[in-house]
Amino acid sequence: MLKIREDRRALVRRIEAARIIVGAVFAILASSYWYVQILRGEHYYVLSENNRIRSVRIAAPRGYVLDRHGSILVDNQPGYTLYLYRREAKDLETSVDFASAVLKLPREQVRARVERGLRDPEFLPITVGENLAVEDVAAIQAHVPEHPEFVIAVSQRRLYTLGTAAAHALGYLSEVSPEQIRNGGSEYRLGDWLGQKGIESSYEKLLAGVDGQRRVVVDSHGREITEEERVEARPGQNVFLTLDLDLQRIAENYFQDKVGSAVALDPKTGEILVLVSSPSYDPNWFTRRVSASEWSGLLTDSHTPLQNRAIQNAFSPGSVFKIFLAYGALAQGLVDPEQRVFCPGQATFYGRTFHCHRKEGHGWVDLRNAIKMSCDVYFYNLGRKLGIDHISEISRSFGFGGATGIDLPFEKSGLIPSEEWAREKRHARWYPSETISVAIGQGPVLVTPLQVARALSGLVSGGRLPTPHLFLASQDPKTGAPLRYQVETREGMALESSKSAIVLNGMWAVLNEPGGTAYASRVPGLDAGGKTGTAQVIGREAVIRAGAERKKLEDHAWFAGFATVEDPQLVVVVFVENGGHGGSAAAPLAQQLFAHFFGKTSTQPPGERTASGPAAGSPSRVPVALRLPPSASRLPASGGIR
Amino acid sequence: MISRVLPVPRRLDLVVLGCAMGLASVGVLFIASTTGGGRLQGLATRQAIWIAVGLLGAVAAVVFDYRRLLKVSFALYVASLLPLLYLLVFGHRIANVRSWIRFGGFQFQPAELAKITTALLVAYLFENEDDARLRLSTFVKLGVIVGVPFVLVFAQPDLGLALTFLPLLIVGFFFGRLPAKGWIGIAIAVAVLAGAAWLFLKDYQKHRIETFLNPDSDVLKSGYQVRQSKIAVGSGGFSGKGFRAGTQSQLRFLPVQHTDFILAVIGEEWGFLGIILVLGLFAALVLRCLTLARVARDRGGVFLILALAGMLFFSVTINASMMIGLLPTTGIPLPLVSYGGSSAATTFLAIGLILGVDYRRFANA
Repeated sequence: MLKIREDRRALVRRIEAARIIVGAVFAILASSYWYVQILRGEHYYVLSENNRIRSVRIAAPRGYVLDRHGSILVDNQPGYTLYLYRREAKDLETSVDFASAVLKLPREQVRARVERGLRDPEFLPITVGENLAVEDVAAIQAHVPEHPEFVIAVSQRRLYTLGTAAAHALGYLSEVSPEQIRNGGSEYRLGDWLGQKGIESSYEKLLAGVDGQRRVVVDSHGREITEEERVEARPGQNVFLTLDLDLQRIAENYFQDKVGSAVALDPKTGEILVLVSSPSYDPNWFTRRVSASEWSGLLTDSHTPLQNRAIQNAFSPGSVFKIFLAYGALAQGLVDPEQRVFCPGQATFYGRTFHCHRKEGHGWVDLRNAIKMSCDVYFYNLGRKLGIDHISEISRSFGFGGATGIDLPFEKSGLIPSEEWAREKRHARWYPSETISVAIGQGPVLVTPLQVARALSGLVSGGRLPTPHLFLASQDPKTGAPLRYQVETREGMALESSKSAIVLNGMWAVLNEPGGTAYASRVPGLDAGGKTGTAQVIGREAVIRAGAERKKLEDHAWFAGFATVEDPQLVVVVFVENGGHGGSAAAPLAQQLFAHFFGKTSTQPPGERTASGPAAGSPSRVPVALRLPPSASRLPASGGIR
Repeated sequence: MISRVLPVPRRLDLVVLGCAMGLASVGVLFIASTTGGGRLQGLATRQAIWIAVGLLGAVAAVVFDYRRLLKVSFALYVASLLPLLYLLVFGHRIANVRSWIRFGGFQFQPAELAKITTALLVAYLFENEDDARLRLSTFVKLGVIVGVPFVLVFAQPDLGLALTFLPLLIVGFFFGRLPAKGWIGIAIAVAVLAGAAWLFLKDYQKHRIETFLNPDSDVLKSGYQVRQSKIAVGSGGFSGKGFRAGTQSQLRFLPVQHTDFILAVIGEEWGFLGIILVLGLFAALVLRCLTLARVARDRGGVFLILALAGMLFFSVTINASMMIGLLPTTGIPLPLVSYGGSSAATTFLAIGLILGVDYRRFANA
C-alpha cells in the first residue's frame, strides 16, 4: 500500500546546502541594507534633503489673432505668476499669510486658491497670483530663504489691443471651470486659462499650443541646481481672421451711442469683415480675473453686453423680409412683376384693416416700386397669395429658422412660423390674418442680423448661401502647412438672373432714386442696393400713450444692403435697437462702410492704415512670421476646425 | 512505519501562507502610499482584487491533486506557450514591450502563467529521475524546457521577465546533481555567450549594464534611478521617515516606484526595520519551503516546491539588490509586494501549489 520511499539522501543533502545558501544571501542583503541605511544613512539623508525635484510648466505662448491685413487684434504681454509648492511649505497657513501680505489680497481669497489647488497631485504647483507687479516680485524674491515654497515664473498675459472693439468676435480667456475640467478630460487644470466664447473658444486648440515642462532639481532653499529634463512648449498658432480692422472701427464708432449690431460679409465666400455688437465689454477684464463688482455689472446691465447680438438676438425683420418674399415668389412663379397693385394707404383682409406705413398710400405700384418704397399693401396682397407655408418654405430656403454655421459658439436659430409650428409649439391654430403681418416681417418671425446677411448674400448670388465665418487662415501645428477656411455654400432657391434683377433693381432704387426709403444714404458714384426695415415694438397708438418711456418703445431699425449691383462684393446688415426708422438710423452705417470699402471716401483721417502697413494704434509692425500663408492648401471639409 | 499508517490530519502550512499574506498586505499598503491622490489612484484596489483572484487559484491548487497536474504538465506547458507566441506575432505594445493580453479593463501577462507551467514540467522531468548524478539526456531536456519560454519572453523584449525563468535551470542543475565538470563547462559557455549576446542586447539594456559598472557615468538617465533609489533607501535610516512621508518617494523621483522600486519606498518610509520585516518574511517563506520540500511525499513534489520557491527567491534577491545598486536594473519586480496583477495572482497560485504538495505529503496515491 505504501510506495517504498526512494533513496533521496543526496537530494536532502542538497536541500540542506540550499538552506545555508539562502540564509547567507539574505544575510548579505540585510547587511548591505544595514550599510546603506544605518552606516551611510546620514549621508543619504542630507542628499535627499538637498535634492528635490520640481516640475515647472513652460507655458506655451498663445497664438496671436490678426485681422485679414495682418493687424494684431489679440497680443500677449509678459506677466509674472506666483506658484506655491506645498511640499516645501512648513505650514500652509504661514504661506497664505505671507502671500496675502505681499500681494495685498484678502487672506480668504488666497486661501481659497490654495485650497482649490490641494485637490491636484502634490507635486503640481498651486497658482497663487498672476500678473504680479514688479515690486511684488522683488518683495517675494527677498523672502525666498524663509519661503522656499514660493516660485515666480514669467508667464504670458493675453492683451486685447482693441479694448471693447470686436470683443464678441474675439471672445476672451478666463480660468477653466471645474465643470470644463471634468468634461475636457485631464488636459486642463485649475488655474489654466481657456478660451471662452468667440474665436478664443472656437479655435482654442489651435491658439493654445501645448505646454512644455521642466524638471529641475532644487536645493532646500528653493534654488534651482540643475535641470533634469526639458520638454519644450509648442507655441500656439497665429490665427488670421476675415475681419477688416478699418471697417470694424468705422462700425464700432457708429455704435458708440447705440444698441444693436452690424455684420458685413463677402457674399461669395461668407468671410465676415465686420462683426459688431453694442454695447460691448473689454475682454481684458477677464484676464485680470474679473472682480466681483465688474461681474455683477456685466450680468445685471439691462443691455446684456456679454451677448453677441449679431448671432444671439433674434428680432422681427420688418420690411427687410419683403425682398426675400419677392425673390421667392418670383422663383416659384407666383407673382407677375409687371402686375400693379393699388395702394390706398390701407387694406382689409379677413375683416381686419391693415395700414401701409404711408398713410396717404402709394397709388399703383409694381414689384420694383413696392420694394423701392417698401409698400406694405403690395406685400399684404403678395403674402395672402403665398400663404404661410409658402412663406415658410421661402424663408427656410434663405436659411432663416436655422443656424448659419458661423464659427462662433452659442448661435441662435430664430423662428420661422408655419401652420405646423402653430399647432405643435404654440398650441393654437394659425390665423390667416397673421400671414398678412408676416408678409411685411412682423409677428412671430424672428431672425438674427447674421442670418439676414447670409440670406442677402444668397439673394445677390443666385440663391447660393455661403457659411459665414471669421477664420481666414492659420498654420497646421504639426506640419506647418497653411490652413485655410474651406468655403462652404448651401444651395437655396435658384432664380434666373433676369428675374432676380427685378428685385436687385428695386433695391438699387431704394438707395439711388428719389423716393427710395434710404435715398439719403446713397454713396455717389457707387451702385449699391439695399432694403430698410422697421420692426415694431408695439403698436403706433401705444407709443404715443407711453410718453416718458418712449425711447424704449421706439421701433427697431434694420438696413440690409450690398454693393455693387453688378458685382456684389460686400453685404452689410445693420440693426439698431429702438433706433426708429431703418432708413435714417441703420442705413448711414452701411453708407460709411460702402464708401470706405469701395474707396469712395475722402474723409479718411491721417494716420489710418495705408495699404502697406498695419493700422496706427496697433502695437507693432507685423513680424515676418505672421504673414498670411499662401492659399495653397485648405482646411479639411466642413469648414471649421473646432 | 507505524505512525505513517495512523490517520494524520491534513493541514495547510500556516508559515508559508502567513508570510505570503503579510507580504501582499505590505504591498497593497505601499501601492496605496505611492499612488494615492494622483492619476494612478485606485491601483491598490486593483492589486487587492488580483490577490483575491490569486487566492482563489491557490485554493484550487490545494484541492486539486498536484500529481495529476504533473501528469498533464507537458500539455499545460505547451498550452501556456501559445499566448506567448501569439503576443510575439500580434501583441499590443505597452511601453514598447509585447507582453500583455488585454481583457476587459484588465491586462494579463501570459509569461507569468508560463513560469508556473514550466516549473510543473521541470518537476515532472525530475519525478522520474533517481538520486544519481544528472544524466546528459535530462540536462538537454531541462535546457529545452526552460530555453523555449526564455527565448519567447526575451523576444518580447522583456529581459527582466525572461531572466526569471533561469532559476529553474539552476534548481535543476543543483538539485539534480550536476557534476562539477558540468558547472565548469556551463561557466565557460556563459562567458562566451555573454560576449556574443552583448552584440544582441538592445541599446538601453547595454546602457543599464554600463551604468551598473560605472554609476557616475550617466547620473541623469539610467544611473538616475539607481542613485535616487539609493538616496531613498539610505535616507530612510533605521526607522524611516514615516508612512507616506518619504520625500524621495512622494516627490515622484522614481518613475516605477509602485512596481519595481517599491522596496525603495518601504526603505525610505519604514527604514531598516521595514526592510528587515520584508526580507525576513521572504527568508522565512523560502526556508520554510525548503523544509516542506524535504518532507514532500514524492520526488515530483520535492522538485515542484524547489522550482517554485527557487524562482521566488531569485526574484527577491535580484530586486532587493537592484535597490541599492548591488545589481543592474533589470525590471524584475518584488514578488507579492510590487504592483502587478498577473505577478500577484500567479505567485499566489504558486503558493497554492506548494501548500498542495505539503497538504498531500501522507496521502496515498
